[in-house]
Amino acid sequence: MADAKPLIQVKNLDLYFGAFHALRNVSVDFHAGELVGLVGDNGAGKTTLIRVLCGIHTPTGGEVYFDGERVRAFHPKLAIDQGIETIQQSVGLCDNLSIARNFYLGREPVKRILGIPFLDFAKMRGEAKKVIRAFGLRDNVSVDDEVERLSGGERQSVKIGRAVEFKNRVVIMDEPTNHLSVREREHVNELAVQLRDQGLLVIYITHDIFQVHKLADRIVIMENGEKIEDASTDSMTADELEEVIRQGGRQVEKMEA
Amino acid sequence: MAAASLSGLKPIVRQHSEVGVILIAVLLVIFFVATSGGRWNNSYNISTILQITATLGLMTLGVALVIGTGEIDISVGSTFGIGALIYLYFAIRIDPVFAAMLAVAAGALIGAFNGYLITRTGTPSLIITLGTLMIFRGLAIALTSGFAFSVPYKERDGLTYFILGGENIFRAGSFSGVNTGFLWLIAGLVVLTIALKYTRFGNHLLAVGGSADSAHSRGIRVDRVKIKAFILCGALAGLGGVLEAGKLGSADGSMGRLMELQAIAACVLGGCVLAGGRISLLGALIGVFVLSSIQSYLVVMAVKPQWFMVLLGVIVVAAALGDRKLRHWAVRK
Amino acid sequence: MIGVALMLIAFSVIDFSGWWTVRTISNVVHFSSILALIAMGQALVIVSKEIDLSVGSVYGLTGIAFITFEQSLGVPGAMLAALGIAATCGLVQGIAVVWGGLPSMIVTLGGLFTFRGIIYVWTGGSVRNFSEEARAHWLTRAFGGEFLGFEVVLFWMLLMLVILSAMLKLTRFGNHLLATGGAADSAESRGVRIDRVKIVTFMICSLMAGFAGIVTLADRPQTHVTIGDLLELEAIAAAVIGGCLLSGGRGSLLGAVLGAFIVTSFRYELIALGAPSSWFITFVGVVLIVAVIFNQKLARWAGHNV
Repeated sequence: MADAKPLIQVKNLDLYFGAFHALRNVSVDFHAGELVGLVGDNGAGKTTLIRVLCGIHTPTGGEVYFDGERVRAFHPKLAIDQGIETIQQSVGLCDNLSIARNFYLGREPVKRILGIPFLDFAKMRGEAKKVIRAFGLRDNVSVDDEVERLSGGERQSVKIGRAVEFKNRVVIMDEPTNHLSVREREHVNELAVQLRDQGLLVIYITHDIFQVHKLADRIVIMENGEKIEDASTDSMTADELEEVIRQGGRQVEKMEA
Repeated sequence: MAAASLSGLKPIVRQHSEVGVILIAVLLVIFFVATSGGRWNNSYNISTILQITATLGLMTLGVALVIGTGEIDISVGSTFGIGALIYLYFAIRIDPVFAAMLAVAAGALIGAFNGYLITRTGTPSLIITLGTLMIFRGLAIALTSGFAFSVPYKERDGLTYFILGGENIFRAGSFSGVNTGFLWLIAGLVVLTIALKYTRFGNHLLAVGGSADSAHSRGIRVDRVKIKAFILCGALAGLGGVLEAGKLGSADGSMGRLMELQAIAACVLGGCVLAGGRISLLGALIGVFVLSSIQSYLVVMAVKPQWFMVLLGVIVVAAALGDRKLRHWAVRK
Repeated sequence: MIGVALMLIAFSVIDFSGWWTVRTISNVVHFSSILALIAMGQALVIVSKEIDLSVGSVYGLTGIAFITFEQSLGVPGAMLAALGIAATCGLVQGIAVVWGGLPSMIVTLGGLFTFRGIIYVWTGGSVRNFSEEARAHWLTRAFGGEFLGFEVVLFWMLLMLVILSAMLKLTRFGNHLLATGGAADSAESRGVRIDRVKIVTFMICSLMAGFAGIVTLADRPQTHVTIGDLLELEAIAAAVIGGCLLSGGRGSLLGAVLGAFIVTSFRYELIALGAPSSWFITFVGVVLIVAVIFNQKLARWAGHNV
């Protein structure tokens, strides 16, 4: 797997927010058919890194290659069109819109009537309904209900359902099991493995090394905007990796002192 | 039993924010009819109200769209004035159709300018449009140098002047008819409502207002959506100015002053949430109708017309408060 | 602040021929002091991350109340009553914003209409002038006369600048105000009563506008019901030019004063150049847009997250 051409290649990535150095010279490869756990403490830069990959942030320096092609313009639209789907913690659903409208947000199906592209509500509602039932939303929730009324777990289910439904090449999950019940969490983890088995690249972001070690093929650890470890789960145990995270934290403290 | 049927209304209130204003409008009309002794509810007065509603309404549709994206445009009163002046200036010199198109284009340009500055610099739209409000108001007064632009009445015939608000239609007996501007308003309402509810543009517009971050993460180009809304808003205000000028035949530099505030008031009254994402175009227009009805009620009842300003102020705040309470009630499970 | 300095320099380079006469300077000082009083109040509201669109109407209402009450209450009584009205305006709006949970823009937009409407309804469209003996009253002269060769309003303005700046920088309330505007949630979690802070700030803003109204009429006792029309826009422009960020938590009262000076100076510059007075409105609009963008760029360049 490792000698195959990487699907996403990140080279010497730097990102500044004003004076804040959020990503420091990060280089990492991701391959198709791989489940990578991206681990680190809060503020380590893991969310920032994937926000570059899904086009929200434009890097200050460095290069990103997707499928061997250098990425020159960063925008979520371009990333989605390439087949990179992201499930983020806080964004992705608009409270004021119905579930059906949210489901297809940004890639709404249209049906032309008299040449005017109208939204194809039949398709939007039908697909959304199928998915939210499969993800166990309450029976009294309709696809015409506004997202405002959903619980945290239900929101996450809609987002994951949406990511699974579209034909993607990369699925990035940012803390996908936050706010979920134990059963829902297992369901999500099974889905992540299932996606990997279908040949997709799955990047699974979490701060819980023990949870992701069971699922992932490889673990990438970030600390203070830098990549500090990149190892397959066969070569290192979860406890060893946790020790790395501790060490990394200590190194930073020393540097600052 | 009563409580159960009341909570049955919750989904309706939740999904149709214009419910509140329709209720207000109905109660007001009943009150006006009951207390004015026929002075308010006669055909002449109703036709006047509808004519005021037409031009202010077009402007309000545009403002509602901008509010839908979570921004605000308070420059529309000046845009309205500029539109009217451009139309009157070129209508007699060149051609009324060309003049109208030029005026609408100028409005769209002002909107594009607003939208570009706001999205490009990330500055609050209130301040940018406050700036353009002043810029174009000053320009309008300076251009007319205190005098009015006008088209002599005898030259105002023919189809184009008719279409651009010059004549009244549907005359029947004492009902002096409605201005053609009213038809423009209905057309605008229908087209924009369909665009808002049944097209991608509408879905994106509401998504941007609901959560710009989420919309962005789904690949929607937030800036473009906002600029489009501002352009539409400016163009509609320009069109409103054309129709008003077509009706009156003249305009001076103060044309459209304070109309931006009435437009915003009508939007709030009509259930548009200023934070964005939830608007009702029909509601906003009923809001306009309510405002112009109150204004005419004060006139026909010979109340000091100055009370309108006080009422307008109180209504804006009360409507915002009432709308908030209604939504809270409807969202509660 | 740097923005103001740059603008002052740019401004001084422009042709001043026929501008620096004693008469215009006295006018500029007078009117920029009045505008500065209002702009300082506005700056405080902007620091608390709100906005007050009603100051022009409050200014007019207070001034007219002062003149109208004088007949029955005498000068000191009228002054107190007028300031009481101003404080009430601020209190009501503050309460509506905080407890009603409404955007301040809508509430104060309502206030702008309501207070202006009250002026019209109350006066019936015409305002009487100040009586001769009231104009000679020592209190009137203390607010409207001259002192050391300058209009006395300049000294009142400087006094308020010192008091309010000290309040903002040196007192607990000032700290709470900055915290409320900067991060309301964090302020609240540390026990700051942000509702009270905002209500008090709205009251100070209305009081400053009202005070400016009284000072104006103490000096030039003829007035009209449109007094203070569009003044809210000038006040916001002055505060923004002076470096107040609309994202809250940052602002400078000295900047607001200088901003008021720039706005007023340009008005007289335009008059001196013989431009129609309406260009002034256009000019304020341009300056407002340029200043807000410039200030924001400056703040970002300095590393603030706005």
